[in-house]
Amino acid sequence: MKGVLESLVRGLGNGSVYALLALGFVIVYKATRVISFAQPAFMIAGAVAVSHLAGTTGFYLAVPLAALLVAGLALGVERVAIRPMVGRPVFVVAIITLGIDVVVRVVVNGFIGLDVRQVGDPWGLSLVEVGGLAVQQRWIAMLLTTAVLVSLLFAFFRYTRYGLAMRAAAFDQETALAQGVSVGMVFALSWALAGGLAAIAGTFAGTGQGVDQLTWIIALKALPAIIVGGLDSLGGAVIGGLAIGVVESLVQSYQGDLAPWLGQNFAVVTPYAVMLLVLLVRPYGLFGTPEVERV
Amino acid sequence: MSKRHLVIAVSLVALLSACGVIRGDDEDKKGAVTTGVTSEPCPIPVDRNKGCIYLGTISDLTSGPFAALAVPITQAQKAFWNRVNKAGGIGGKYEVDVQAYVRDNKYNPETHNQVYQEIKNNVLGLAQTLGSPTTAAIIADLKANNVVSAPASWTSAWEFEDVIVETGANYCVESMNAVDYAVEAYKPKTVMAVHYAGDYGADAAAGAKAAAERNGLEFTAVETPSGATEQGRAITEITKNKPDLVILTTGPADAAAVIGQSAAAGFKGRFIGTAPTWNPALLKSPAAPAILALYEQSSPGKPWGADTPGHKAMREALGNVTPSDGYTSGWAWSYPLKAALEKMVASGDVSRKGLLAAVKSLNTVDYEGMLPPEAGNFAGDPNTATFRQTLINKPDTAAPTGVTIVKDFYTGPTAQSYTMDGPCFGKL
Repeated sequence: MKGVLESLVRGLGNGSVYALLALGFVIVYKATRVISFAQPAFMIAGAVAVSHLAGTTGFYLAVPLAALLVAGLALGVERVAIRPMVGRPVFVVAIITLGIDVVVRVVVNGFIGLDVRQVGDPWGLSLVEVGGLAVQQRWIAMLLTTAVLVSLLFAFFRYTRYGLAMRAAAFDQETALAQGVSVGMVFALSWALAGGLAAIAGTFAGTGQGVDQLTWIIALKALPAIIVGGLDSLGGAVIGGLAIGVVESLVQSYQGDLAPWLGQNFAVVTPYAVMLLVLLVRPYGLFGTPEVERV
Repeated sequence: MSKRHLVIAVSLVALLSACGVIRGDDEDKKGAVTTGVTSEPCPIPVDRNKGCIYLGTISDLTSGPFAALAVPITQAQKAFWNRVNKAGGIGGKYEVDVQAYVRDNKYNPETHNQVYQEIKNNVLGLAQTLGSPTTAAIIADLKANNVVSAPASWTSAWEFEDVIVETGANYCVESMNAVDYAVEAYKPKTVMAVHYAGDYGADAAAGAKAAAERNGLEFTAVETPSGATEQGRAITEITKNKPDLVILTTGPADAAAVIGQSAAAGFKGRFIGTAPTWNPALLKSPAAPAILALYEQSSPGKPWGADTPGHKAMREALGNVTPSDGYTSGWAWSYPLKAALEKMVASGDVSRKGLLAAVKSLNTVDYEGMLPPEAGNFAGDPNTATFRQTLINKPDTAAPTGVTIVKDFYTGPTAQSYTMDGPCFGKL
């Protein structure tokens, strides 16, 4: 039982990184109907920015600074590369985001160098005893930070003018425009939010183990998370991310004993297996909005 | 002749001309002695009166998992051949160029093959072909065209390929010796190999298995994917089964994740990792205390700071660089190729076939003390030619590359009696 709980906490820790990334995907998708494949680049940019800043400002100041920096970067990218494409097929824009991802990662790789860079987090691999369980502190930190960020985000959407504007634009762009909502501002804000969240996710992905030029691959696990949760559901993104993390961790720990016939490393494909299962039962994800078409 | 026939005739002439049939492109380029060798001097010559032997380099130079090692390997080889050229070149007739044809494989077999096709008609051999799976993608072509190549990997498959001039014991032998060393030093009863798939990880795991069987130890193998966040299963297996000894064959970041998190979860057994599991940057990672306490590195060669004429020449040639054992490996890997080139030029048959014949006649190679001369035996059958001595290093924050030797070159009883009759990784 202890093993299951420890595995669960590890899954929730990793899952909260996926959840933050997935939130970014969903925010951009809701605003622009485009899946932004630039999220991995923003994630790694954030982690690398923290690894450079932490030495001078300290880790706790470096994280928000890096989030702001990457949010600014995402804002710039949106203005330069995405805004001119408004009204074009979303497929084209999605392909452009792939290009942006490659370009940003090439630049960021220059700042990583060849070795692993440490993000300078205070937790390292230290443990803390929670009710008889030895839990890595960084997983608790990830989970708490994600909880706080998600609450803030939901409050932002619920109670602020900008949040309302974003929800209106997501619901119906033309009507929102007619009501005086600046849809351009909504696009920009969604990219900035997604960039900032990805930066924080990247930093947490780097805690305890550092970042190198291949760390960005973690961001791809957010894709099954958003499909599981539903492409247009913020709550779904969080639940999807956490679920993917937990399932992956449990499979890592127990598949070898319970289902050895699946091969040694089935955990690597579990996010996608879960995604396929959910798609079979609920094609719009667990919390997605089913599209109704009348013929 | 009708207009139509004229058009056909003209297009045919144009086509043949474009293919080089009429212009005579088949004739050798000006100054070419053979493929990859010219009587013209190298692009950056030391002596303009010497010809030039071009060697290609295909390495993981930017974004692959071994870039941190590959870049120093490539730099060291540039310095090595520069030193050879300054000392009079090969047989007083040729200098060696390793800079004109350097390509990045991104540790991807397809890319590796693609860039190899780009350069293969311009080089005599390869000064470096990095990685086991990547080199496997071009091995058939290397053999078909007699392209002698120095590998940057230590898989046991190379013992069975004439065109590959490997240096130092393979992963399989290295892990046999690691287990034999641990049996003496720590008296383990259970051994677990945590390894990548394929001819790097599985090769070492197979060696560990052979040694475990010979010593009557309980053996398990855990295959693990690359990526620090993917190591959860390996960590669980270690902390659940508590083996006395773990033989690691992964990249450095993954090794740190496995060692650090296993130790954090209370694991107190020993780790011995193959040479590529180490990177001095690990001593700055959160896993450093665990690494210092539990980890040793097995290695096919002595580290950067060793006191041999070869190491000294390398340090002098490279000057003020951040020490890395990528440099050491890259430098050592070049000696057999130098010996073979010298023999080829002396024999008068300057060609790919001549170079291969020279390789097959090498019984020993002068490594300037970096490795024993018998490490350079390419003449015997694989079982007798396989070099079976390795070292054990331990992490040491004061050493230039973070490791110092705890056990010098030795052959354990398992490696001594093992019959090398096929690549080890097939026997896991």
